[in-house]
Amino acid sequence: MKKIFAVVLAAGFLLLAAAPVWAHHAFAAEFDAAKPIKFKGTVTKMEWINPHAWIHIDVKGEDGTVTPWMIEAAAPNALLRRGWNKNSLPAGTEILVEGFQAKDGSNRGNGSVITFTDGKKLFVGSSAGDPGAAPGAPAK
Amino acid sequence: MPYPPLLHRRYEALVAAAFVILGTSLTPTHLAAQWLRYPTAGVPRKPDGKVDMSAPAPRLADGKPDFSGIWTTGEPFDRRALGLSSPKDLAAPKNSQSYSEPQGPGDPTAIVGSRQMANIGIDLPGGLPYQPWLVPIVKERTDNLAKDDPHIRCLPDSFIREYGMPHLQKFVHHPGLLVVLSEMNAWYRQVFTDARPLPVDPNPTLEGYSSGKWSGDTLVIDTIGFRNDTWIDWSGSVVTEAAKVREEMRRPDFGHLEIKVTVDDPKAYTKPWTVTLKQRIVVDTELIDEICLENEQSLKHLK
Repeated sequence: MKKIFAVVLAAGFLLLAAAPVWAHHAFAAEFDAAKPIKFKGTVTKMEWINPHAWIHIDVKGEDGTVTPWMIEAAAPNALLRRGWNKNSLPAGTEILVEGFQAKDGSNRGNGSVITFTDGKKLFVGSSAGDPGAAPGAPAK
Repeated sequence: MPYPPLLHRRYEALVAAAFVILGTSLTPTHLAAQWLRYPTAGVPRKPDGKVDMSAPAPRLADGKPDFSGIWTTGEPFDRRALGLSSPKDLAAPKNSQSYSEPQGPGDPTAIVGSRQMANIGIDLPGGLPYQPWLVPIVKERTDNLAKDDPHIRCLPDSFIREYGMPHLQKFVHHPGLLVVLSEMNAWYRQVFTDARPLPVDPNPTLEGYSSGKWSGDTLVIDTIGFRNDTWIDWSGSVVTEAAKVREEMRRPDFGHLEIKVTVDDPKAYTKPWTVTLKQRIVVDTELIDEICLENEQSLKHLK
């Protein structure tokens, strides 16, 4: 029993956020660090594809209108190594997404943190173990 | 106090059923994880189970060092910690207090690029000795955040650049041939160690033509036949058709590879230059395809 619980718990904590381990392009060329985004959405689809997985979410505005967004994640191989798979975010999952919007103002974002309804946060796993680690921080 | 025998058996049955139900739902993930974490054969370990990085390097059948293994940079620089990423993000100087080389094997859940990824000449006094024509080109490529990087267009990377990229590469080493495979774009490179001479007037390719010979326990690899404008870092530094690249490759111990790279390319640089690129072993993992062309979406959005 303990073992199963540990596996489930570990799987939960391993579901890391949609931040790219490394974009195949410069972040700053496509996304704007001065345009942070933070909103709740319902997952409609997860595109499990290279070079970036995409999380499609419907965001409900205060007036009830629903706006589709797509959030860029790491490549599937990086996500797999962290315990994700293509079924990790099924349609209907409610999440809070934090990240940065695309420079062109479209409804696209580069994700950094996902928070589930139970409060569990999925952070970017910087190698130093701290999202705010200093430049040149050593890897584990 | 022990349970009565009948109750004990029912309890065991219930627990077993619970395991089966939970195990069944978890099985697909568990099996996938088994492949991803399949234990690497022949890894020397310390009593605590950790990889013994300083154990002797394995040997090939002919007695020469065996470079086989999955490798990643031994000098990682985690740009993700900044949340941002561009060729302008140069790593801290080697002698700074904020930098130290990791001691253990590479972590497959946290693969990052090297200190040299943004600019391979970061540790050279004065940087790379560009020819005058190349200086404004590299400046423009850095300023526009490498929007013309062939890597974004899903082209394979030069092996020089590959040493510092956040993608795993696997060395498969036999007497006579060293094969390097990368999970990025199903890339490969061959280094022939069967004493064949380099080609005369080679047809230019991305990886060139490599022939290596042993000098003691160091494999000295010479490569010619690169294509013009082959990027060797994120800043857009290049090698040209005129380049002769020498790698002096050694495996000082089980966990480490050291590659001294000398680039002699009079078309691109005013003098030859040498950098040492370090690799460290990654165990209990496997290459997983990352094929960029499947759904490359960034190019149309880059400004």
